[in-house]
Amino acid sequence: MTQIKTIALLSTTMTALVTIALVSMLLGQYPIDFTTLIGYIDFKLFGGDSNDTYALLDNIILQIRLPRILLAILIGASLATSGAAFQAMFVNPLVSPGILGVLAGAAFGAALGMLISEQWYIVQALAFIFGFIAVGLAVLIGSMVTNSRSTIMLVLGGVISGSLFTALLSVVKYVADPYSTLPAIVYWLMGSLTMADLHGVLLISIPMLLGILGMIMMGKYFDILSLGDEEAKALGINVAMVRAAAIILATLTSSLSVVMAGMIGWVGLIIPHIIRMAIGPSHRLLMPLSAIIGAIFLLLADSISRLAFSVEIPLGIITSLIGIPIFIIVLKNARAAWN
Amino acid sequence: MELKPIINVKELHFAYHKHTVLNGVNFSLNKGEVVSLLGPNGCGKSTLIRLILKLIHAKKGDILINNKMINDYSHKEIAQHIAYIPQYHNVPFNYSVLEMVMMGRVSKLGFLASPSKKDKEIAYESLRSIGIDDLSSRPFGQLSGGQKQMVLLARALTQEVNTFIMDEPVSGLDYGNQIRLLELISKLSRQGYTFLKTTHYPDHALLVSSRVVAMNEGKIIADGKPENVITSEMINQVYGIGANLIKHEEYTRCLPIFNKGIL
Repeated sequence: MTQIKTIALLSTTMTALVTIALVSMLLGQYPIDFTTLIGYIDFKLFGGDSNDTYALLDNIILQIRLPRILLAILIGASLATSGAAFQAMFVNPLVSPGILGVLAGAAFGAALGMLISEQWYIVQALAFIFGFIAVGLAVLIGSMVTNSRSTIMLVLGGVISGSLFTALLSVVKYVADPYSTLPAIVYWLMGSLTMADLHGVLLISIPMLLGILGMIMMGKYFDILSLGDEEAKALGINVAMVRAAAIILATLTSSLSVVMAGMIGWVGLIIPHIIRMAIGPSHRLLMPLSAIIGAIFLLLADSISRLAFSVEIPLGIITSLIGIPIFIIVLKNARAAWN
Repeated sequence: MELKPIINVKELHFAYHKHTVLNGVNFSLNKGEVVSLLGPNGCGKSTLIRLILKLIHAKKGDILINNKMINDYSHKEIAQHIAYIPQYHNVPFNYSVLEMVMMGRVSKLGFLASPSKKDKEIAYESLRSIGIDDLSSRPFGQLSGGQKQMVLLARALTQEVNTFIMDEPVSGLDYGNQIRLLELISKLSRQGYTFLKTTHYPDHALLVSSRVVAMNEGKIIADGKPENVITSEMINQVYGIGANLIKHEEYTRCLPIFNKGIL
């Protein structure tokens, strides 16, 4: 793809993301019309004319819709870029952020936090710590069985680590208070953006954006890493360093997504596939496009989650219901390319 | 002519767990040579080239590249001196031929740099010089084995180095492609490139090598001009079969003796 085409593609998708975010800001229990929104943005950013309804909009937009939209964008982008990064690292188009046990580890940590404390920062810290422990365990199991750092053993290590933390999560659920903590854990695990507040989102956006940008910048190395370790080394890549950096960044962003919104599946798996089918597998374009399209996907899924019915459907359920049929289509079409 | 060593291997020992693979190997590759490493399965040829590329590490012995110890080189620096052409293979993601060839440029790029227009031109030039520029937009996964091997060779050319290491380059190729690839290696060597390749075919070694190194059980048992190294005795010692060496036009050819056996 030529440079002009690349820039055109990135700017078109970016414009689509901004448009969807703006439209999504208008929709909800209290509908806002476009002129009011523009007037409000003008008032907030450039000190335009004030209006009586703006105090109400402060509450609806700044406290409720904006944080939620920003969080959807951040989480969609993180899960999709982490998915693409994991797929390149493991030379396997069928893995996703869950494969190293990160999501399960982070979910266990967060549930444990809810059990032992009411402090939200403890929940975040434990999710974070156990996300990394889960990866560490996966790598340890992977390298214990064989001396060579085999990709398959690492994936197997991830499966074992993920199963372990899923079991531990069940233990937490089993001992949790069935009237307060258990419903909180179960509802949060289904995936939801309802807890988003502007301050928290802005705070978490810094590490998440750094993680996403880091993975985007590693695109050219992911291409080479996907050829296998030995060939990547022979082409001049420091495989151990690139892989460690990618694992840290992908784990960081996916753990943070679990902390903020529970376990949201399928985004990391299907988004890179859809993009690969559309524009080819080169990670230099796949990574930034995964971030943008992942953000659009989760933003749309969240809009369905809060608008489709009078009660809100957990986001994780929506992404699964949309993700599974898409994945079946992708799987069928992409099979020829993998062979 | 004075020999200019590119790779020097001294008293190299290597073992997988307790199984000795290389047992005191001394070897050198000089500028302009085409060296074929010959020997039976498991004799240590592939291990030797993997050690030279720093893909694995030796327990004992030295490897020098341009008179500098291999441990003083990063992988990126080695890739700026030596290009590796693996056996053709499948890739999990269906990159185009041009994308595959462009990957050869990564050792020339800075951490944040993207491949430039010049990098793309070099990639096209490499494809042209091998005569496969018409394949540039084709998906790599849909090529034949011979075409894939040519693409990997083009990728090595984009590294802009003078030394190529090839692991069983004709493995899995049909008869025509085997010969065409050997002709290409011969052509590139006349342009000044240096080659080190492993091979299972003594006949191929006779066609394109300037030197042949025969290995057996982790040791080098012969090293010299192809006609001096590849003899009936050597074939018998290394492979356990008989062979006749026949002069045909300007080349010596190796014909194995086919034993029908007794039923």
